[in-house]
Amino acid sequence: MTLLLGALTIGLILSLLALGVFISFRIFHFPDITADGSLPLGAATAAVLLVGGASPILATAAAFGAGLAAGAVTGILHTKFRINNLLAGILVMTALYSINLRIMGRSNIPLLSADSLSARAEQIGLCAVSTAGFDVAGWTISMRDASSLLGVFIVVAIVGLALYAFFRTNLGTAMRATGDNDQMVRALGINVGSMIILGLSLSNGLIALSGALLAQYQGFADVQMGIGMIVLGLASVIIGEALVGVRSVGLLITGAVMGSVLFRLLVAIALRAGLNPTDLKLITAVFVFAALVLPAFLKRLRGRA
Amino acid sequence: MTSDNGSPMLAIRRLSMTFSAATANEVKALQQVDLSVDPGAFVIVIGTNGSGKSTLLNAVAGTFSADSGTIVLAGREVGGWPEHRRAALIGRVFQNPFSGTAPALSIGENIALAARRGSARGLARALPGNLRRTISERVRVLGMGLEERLDNPIGSLSGGQRQALTLLMATWIKPKLLLLDEHTAALDPKSADQIIRLSDRLIRQERLTTIMVTHSMQQAANLGDRLIMMDQGRIVYDFSGAEKRRLRANDLLERFEEVRRINQLDRSAADMLRRTYI
Repeated sequence: MTLLLGALTIGLILSLLALGVFISFRIFHFPDITADGSLPLGAATAAVLLVGGASPILATAAAFGAGLAAGAVTGILHTKFRINNLLAGILVMTALYSINLRIMGRSNIPLLSADSLSARAEQIGLCAVSTAGFDVAGWTISMRDASSLLGVFIVVAIVGLALYAFFRTNLGTAMRATGDNDQMVRALGINVGSMIILGLSLSNGLIALSGALLAQYQGFADVQMGIGMIVLGLASVIIGEALVGVRSVGLLITGAVMGSVLFRLLVAIALRAGLNPTDLKLITAVFVFAALVLPAFLKRLRGRA
Repeated sequence: MTSDNGSPMLAIRRLSMTFSAATANEVKALQQVDLSVDPGAFVIVIGTNGSGKSTLLNAVAGTFSADSGTIVLAGREVGGWPEHRRAALIGRVFQNPFSGTAPALSIGENIALAARRGSARGLARALPGNLRRTISERVRVLGMGLEERLDNPIGSLSGGQRQALTLLMATWIKPKLLLLDEHTAALDPKSADQIIRLSDRLIRQERLTTIMVTHSMQQAANLGDRLIMMDQGRIVYDFSGAEKRRLRANDLLERFEEVRRINQLDRSAADMLRRTYI
């Protein structure tokens, strides 16, 4: 049961990463590798502030802010200095590795003794129910697990709704149109460069937020924790599209969240069944490869038959 | 506004544009072009491929900035403005019917984007109820039944329908200048006819200052109150008033032939001079 709750919680935390990747990759068609650096950036920023005694909410907000800045830098490199989109992301990701080490001062910061959002959620849960655990269908659930899951669910719901509302504003609609048809967008007086900078900024803000929550839930921040995050986010977005189909923004946002949770559950099951954790990233990469290639391949097969 | 004191809506002075300068592929797309367009004028531009007519339109719209010369639009020197800033004054419809709309966005959202051309875009709802009603009314006038499908993605519509919506979007906020770049060339004859009628009606009703590039001699003869023929980056004929009204499609073809012969003559004269003196 703890394993299942853990998978759900991490799935929800990483759904913020999936939403960030959804913005860069699906809305702007910008394969933004900054993600691999901005996720640990969020974790590092939050961890250092938490260890320093800052309030968990402030620390998490600061992580979001750091992600916003990282994304904006990638956007500026691409639009103002005309650096290829992949390379712009790689440059910022590489730079962030050093920056993250600078922020943390070492490669790993444990958070088990620090006041964090997870600890806060547990306290609130304990105040409300005043038992250290309860039984559901014969399984014992600890208050820490239950309150973390509920807390993360609330955060993801708020972020998802806010994102949905944003994409229906004048600014959000202009952003979606920018990825869709930039010629039209210019002809209607929208600055394409500004839209890309803003969009990547928002994307990486969400990814850093995901990193901050992940660090607080897992109880540590590690400089290596960002490796392969862009591929993981892509996998979630692709699963989400398979679940809801590709149409309205609201559905796609829901799909990205569902995709992330489902992917985490599948991983938990596979690990339980004896999969070596070492192979996880390879399997994720192969999965994304298959998801990208299979639709066109199947179409060709059908066309031939 | 500039129309009050009799000054032109658009004044182009000595505009030049050379592509691939100083290479074997050098193309002088615009050579010291002067053009002045009065407020409310409907100017047709014709010319062979490579004559510079589309380059002229793109230079005014700001797709690229010209090598030299000035462009004054509604009293403002816009030559140094980026494309998106000029868009505050200019409405555009492209040759490709898919260029003017964002396919994944709904009809309503596309028009909502056009309804804020030239103004800041903030965090207000893009498609509030009152705008929706206005959109529904103005889309109904197109007579295509699209007012029932405002939430459908625009990518699901035909080229003709998308071009009609692009035209509506380009004129949603009255532009100081409307640029139509062969906007019916990629459509089937029936849709093309429909779009031309719609364009003509909108331009007349709103008295829109318009420059329209076309390949159709029929359109060139029947539409507009001024006609410009371009060749090799220059304006070679400029008809207006009664002279423009008298022009027929055949007359235009004759002018094309004339231009072609002059060009040949230029070349053979140059050959002769070269043989004689070099």
